[in-house]
Parts: sequence; C-alpha cells; structure tokens
Amino acid sequence: MHTRARDSEFTMLFQVIAYTFILFLSIICLVPFLLILSGSFSSNESIVRDGYHLFPTDFSLEGYKMVFKFPTQVLKAYGVTVFTTVVGTALGLFFITMAGFVLQRKDFKYRNTFSFFIYFTTLFGGGLVPWYIMLANYFNLTDTYTVLIFPGLMTPFLIILMKNFIRSAVPDELIEFAKIDGANDFRIYFSVVLNLAMPGIATVGLFLALGYWNDWFTSSLFINNPDMYQLQFYLYNTMNTITFIDQMAIGTGITLSQDVPTESTKMAMAIIVTGPILFLYPFVQRYFVRGLTIGAVKG
Amino acid sequence: MHMRNKTFLRHLSLIIALMMFAGVLAACNTGSGESTQGSAEGGSSTSKGDKVTLQFYMLGDAPKDLPTIESEINKLAEADLNVNVKFNYTSWTDWDQKYKLLLSSGQPIDLIFTADWTFYQSYAKKGAFLALDEMLPKVAPTLQAHVPEDMWNAVKINEKIYTVPSTWIEYVTEGIAYREDLREKYNLPKPESMETLEAYLEGIKANEPDMIPIADSNANHTHGIRQLNSKLVNTAGQLPYGLDIMYESPSNVASYWGSAQHLEDLKTYKRWMDKGFFPKNVLNVKDTSNSLLQNGKAAVILSGENPNKFNADVIKIQSTHPDWKLGYFPYPNAKGFAQPVHPIHNGFAIPRSSKNPERALAFYEKLVTDKRYNWLTEYGVEGKNFEVQDGYYKMIGDAQTNGFPREGMNGWAWRNPEFMLYDKSFDDVLTMFEELDKIKKPDIFTGFAEDWTPYQAEKAALEQVEKQYLYPLNVGLVADVETGLNTFMEKAKQAGLEKIQSEYTKQWQEYLKSAGIQ
Repeated sequence: MHTRARDSEFTMLFQVIAYTFILFLSIICLVPFLLILSGSFSSNESIVRDGYHLFPTDFSLEGYKMVFKFPTQVLKAYGVTVFTTVVGTALGLFFITMAGFVLQRKDFKYRNTFSFFIYFTTLFGGGLVPWYIMLANYFNLTDTYTVLIFPGLMTPFLIILMKNFIRSAVPDELIEFAKIDGANDFRIYFSVVLNLAMPGIATVGLFLALGYWNDWFTSSLFINNPDMYQLQFYLYNTMNTITFIDQMAIGTGITLSQDVPTESTKMAMAIIVTGPILFLYPFVQRYFVRGLTIGAVKG
Repeated sequence: MHMRNKTFLRHLSLIIALMMFAGVLAACNTGSGESTQGSAEGGSSTSKGDKVTLQFYMLGDAPKDLPTIESEINKLAEADLNVNVKFNYTSWTDWDQKYKLLLSSGQPIDLIFTADWTFYQSYAKKGAFLALDEMLPKVAPTLQAHVPEDMWNAVKINEKIYTVPSTWIEYVTEGIAYREDLREKYNLPKPESMETLEAYLEGIKANEPDMIPIADSNANHTHGIRQLNSKLVNTAGQLPYGLDIMYESPSNVASYWGSAQHLEDLKTYKRWMDKGFFPKNVLNVKDTSNSLLQNGKAAVILSGENPNKFNADVIKIQSTHPDWKLGYFPYPNAKGFAQPVHPIHNGFAIPRSSKNPERALAFYEKLVTDKRYNWLTEYGVEGKNFEVQDGYYKMIGDAQTNGFPREGMNGWAWRNPEFMLYDKSFDDVLTMFEELDKIKKPDIFTGFAEDWTPYQAEKAALEQVEKQYLYPLNVGLVADVETGLNTFMEKAKQAGLEKIQSEYTKQWQEYLKSAGIQ
C-alpha cells in the first residue's frame, strides 16, 4: 500500500516535469510562428519602426492585399507545388512500398545485393556537380515538371524504413497463407501488404509530402521559367532579391527594376506557404508515431 | 551463405569499379567531343545555315513580358540570321553556384553575362570561355568597330579577348547620402569629412532621438570611411585581406589591418557606438540601408550609395515624403579623383560549350548595334511598355502594371550610348557623371585577376575569423578595442593571413608589371 502511494507520487512528479518540459518546448517552437503570423497582420511601418511583436500593434491586412493584388504568380507557384506534392507522393509511395515489399521477401534471392546498392548510395554520393550534369545534360530535364518530381521519388532512408516496417508488420506466415489460398505476388502486395503497412505508408507519405512541399533546391537549379517555380522557391527568391540588392549592388552599380516586397508582405507569404501543410499533420499524426517507432527500432 | 556473400562482394566491387571507369570515360568523351564538334560546326556556319536556337543566360529574374519580347526578337533574328534565341534567367537565389554549374557542366550555352563580380577574370583564365579575337573581324565587324580599341585591350586575359565589354561609361563610385532637411533644420555642418560627419551625427542623435543616425548592415560603413580618408586603388574601398594599396604608389602594398590607422578607426567606431550612432543589433539588421533611409528611420548612409542608387532614393522620397530633402557627398570629391567602371564590369562571353559560337556572336552584334534589337531588349515594346517624350524615356503605367520596366531584362551589358534613353529623373545622375568626368582617372584595379587557389583554405578560414572577431570591432561592440584588435590579428595570423597577403602582393605586382603600371 505504502509503496504504491509512493509510486504514484513519482508518476505524478514525472508527469508534471514531462508536461512542463513539453509545454516549454512547444512554446519555443510556436513563438517564431506567432511572430510571423502577427507580422503578417501588422502594418509595414510598425514593423520597420518597432520591430516584431507577439501581437500586432497596428493591425493591417496590407501584406495579404499585396500578395493577392497580382495573384497569378503566387497561384501558379501554388499550383506547381500542389501538383508535384500530390503526384510525387503518390508515385513515391508506390515505388517505395514496392521496393520495401520485394526487399523484405525471404524468397527473393538477390535481396541483399539490391539492398546493398541502395544502402551504398547513402554512404557515397556523387556530389552536386555530377548530379547536376546527370539531370541537366544526360536526361535533359531542365525546365520540366519531371525534374521537380523525379529526383525525390526514392530516398534510400525511406526504402529501408519501409522494408523494415513491412517485415515487422506482415509476418512471413501470412504471405504463405495467402499463397496457399491462391494469391499471386501482386495480389499479396495490394490486398495484404498495403493494408497492414498503413502506419508505415502514412509515415513515409508524410515525409515525402513534406519533402516535396518544402523543396526549393531543385527549382533553384533546374527551373528557369518563372511560371514553373515551386512555392517555396518563389518565396525564397523574392527574399534573396532583397539580400542581393543589399549585398551585391554595393560597388557593382547594377540597377534592379523589380519591386521589393515589404516586411509584412514577406510574412504574409510565409503564412500562405506554410498554411496547407499544417493541416495535413493532424490527419496522419495518429499513424505517425507508431510508423516511425516500429521502423526505427528494427532499423 | 558466408562464402557466397564474399564472392558476391568481390563481384560487386568489380562491377562498381567498372561502372565508375565507364562513367569517367563517358564524361571525358562527351566533354571533349562536344567542344571539338562545336568549333567545327561553327567554322562552317558563317553564312545563314540551318536554323538553330541560341541559349542566352542572364543573371537575376525575368521581367513579366519576357515571352513577348522573346518572340519579337525571334522574328527579327530569324529573318536576319536564321536563329532563334531562348532567354534564360538564373534568379538571384544562389546565382553564383548556378553560374558555376552552368559553366562547369558542359551544358550548351551560347551567350552568358560576365562581370568582375561574377569572376570573369578567373573563369577566362581557367578556359571557360572561347577567345573572340579571330571570330570578331569575321562575323561581327560592326561590333568590333563599335567597341573602342582601348576597351578591347582592357578586357584581355592572357592576351586574348573573352568578353564583349559594354561601351557606356558610368560611375559606381560611392558617397555619403544624408538628410539635408534635418541638417538645415538643426543647423548642422555638411558631413564631408570625419569631423563634420561626426558633428552631423551628434546633431541628429541629440535632436531626433528616435532615429538611428547611421543606416548600416553587416558593418559595411568601414568601406565608406576608408574612401573618405584614403586614396585607395579600389573605387569601392573594398580591398581584400585588409590590404592598403594607394592609387599614387600601387606597387607599395601595406597591411591596413593591425596598423595604427586601423586602431584609430576602430576607436572611432567604438566612440560612435557609445554615442548611439549605430543600432544595438547592427550585425543582425536585415533591412537594406536604403529602406532605412527611405522610411525616415536613419539619417546617413555611408556605404554602397552610388549616384544611381542615390537618385533612386531621391525619387522614392519625392513621392512618399515630399517635405524631406536628401544631400549627397561623393567620395571622389574627398579623394580628388574618380574612376569610371572598368570595361570588364559589364560584358558577354561565349562559353566553351557553345555549339554555335559564331552565330551567337553575330546575334550579339545585332543586340548591341541594331536599334530595333536594342530598344526591344532594353525598354520593351514601344507604345506598350514605354514611349519617347521629348527625347526622354517614359514608362507606360507603373512598375506594378508594366510588364517590362526600363532595362527590365537586366541588359546592363548591351547598353549602347548611341541608342540610350533616360528617364527625366536621370538627368541629375548624368550631371553628377559630368562632374566626375572632370576628375577622371583610369581604373587600375579591376583588370587584376586574383588567383586564390594557392591559399583557398586560408581564405575560407580568414573569412570566418573576420566575421567572428572583426565585425564586432567595426561596430564598436568590443569594450577594449586594443585587446580586441590584437586578438583579431592573432587569430587572423593563425588562419594564414601572412601567407595570403604575401601571395596576393606577389600576384598584384606581377600584374602591375605586365600591365605596365608604375
């Protein structure tokens, strides 16, 4: 009786500490976001004069008005990002689950060979220049939608994660049962594996979607046509133009005719860019924890 | 199982080795094959040949109306040369990395922007561009005649021409921009020397407590102060590695860092910080100095304000705060001489990877010397993007609605003085240029091509040390300036400062000898 009381005391204490800690962490994560949010609703003068505040001192919608005054470019960039995210995630999930399923099958003779090939690239990469030459000169992918999707389809880490997840979620016996019942490999993949691997698929899918949504680097290297900029790159580029004017125009004497967006506009754009992906989180979150831990423990 | 794995690994390593070898071979083959093929094709295509599309690369962002301009240009180019042009823009994000990739990947590019700040000299030295000497009289005689002989000579690297320089002469010399209305209001002296500048700043601080006297970011004001106080060889006062090279005695190279003058300057900055001339978080300021001035948050800009930018500030303030007034003191007035930009500063080169170098050069000739091409690419479509009023350029609509503002394609390199149109507001800049013309001396610095391969690692290390130890000193954030400077010098020496300085000096003196400068 006595020990039990002390146990629960400890549990209580632990929980109090744990909750405070997590609460503290969440606040640290949330504050910068709040700053951006309030910045996007402040008037530009108040930002320049007083800096950023947690709550807007001078409420204004001019930032958003500015962004949507000529919405074509933002909307185009949005379209590109949504398209690459949806297509990339769907294709990527298909390929990764296929690869994972095949690589964990014990009756696949060369599974170690292929695993090694995939694993090898995580240790030794060709580097930026060969990668660029490959995509730009050999595959001729400059200024195509393919280049925005293709390089991100198969990540070695995600394949390994998926392989381990399928191995732990789908017992070998189950596959044998299915075989005995007359299912072929594709049937097993579609009906058995995909159903049981749902948490893993959600996890990997979220990783993929985040990767595509946040990608700016491929646009930066391979896209010259402003209509095909991804959203993140569009934002990043406008910011960079400002830095450029500040840094490089010293002593170069070049004149730039573009309009420089104001502080509140930049913040409004940041909100518009991050918004949608935030809503994806709650839907996959329940799978997320399970998918990740199972994959990681066995990894 | 174990045995099988072992043999398998042996096989695998063999396969990988083979694949790598094949890859290297393939890269070599295509690389060299393409370049020989390119020049061979080029040699035979002096007359109109098959229709080709030229790949044209510019820095920065494309204007909205670029597709219209491109199709208009292509109509002309197809009739004249049977070529089409694709205008590509890198955007300002990581442009330097992209520039490097474009030139090193062997991707076919026919024309690319060059400048000293895009490292024209070192790329030319490394053989990234084609030499134009033989091609010019053959395919672009008009262009060759258009550019004066001394400009062709000035852009030569290792006795060869690799870029077509722009012939418009401009000054990007800097100066102090300040709030003239406040100066009058509080009866302050004109900030034209260290003493009067400090007095002006004091007056601002005392009378306008909400203002930051100096607009600054990244401690750039030091370049300005150096131009106010010394006759350095570099127009922008930005000599690398803390070196001192005076215009009158260029072969004399001294170290500014660690000198008595350096210590004195740093003490001045400390005093300025104590008096509150800088914002406390100056090293983190992200706003451009110009926006601080335009918003009325700051009173003085010390660095980066060339006549062009100053004019832009004046125009902006006229529309937002007509009751304000801006003053300008050009540093050349303090130095006693001004250097116009070096011909290397704006140009176009033909990369080695070009498949049609001669057609590219012929097209570029049109761009510079044919008024139709030139106006289309500099000002847009007449009647749609701009109109000519009393000989002045007039934008139709405003910057938001007009899809092609003046020089919207960033066409600084193919400006042709004979065809140039200026906005009415630009008259002030031209007047300033005329004044500077009177004290003009040739730029002897920009022709120098630094080769930092011998001290690349030291250079990177030094940049870190500079950010960590020198920047805080530059804005007076270190309490004990003398100790701070000593620490910086010690760390800089550890990073290899002496090696860098002596190697740089050696290269500089070789350059002076080869260029015949005393």
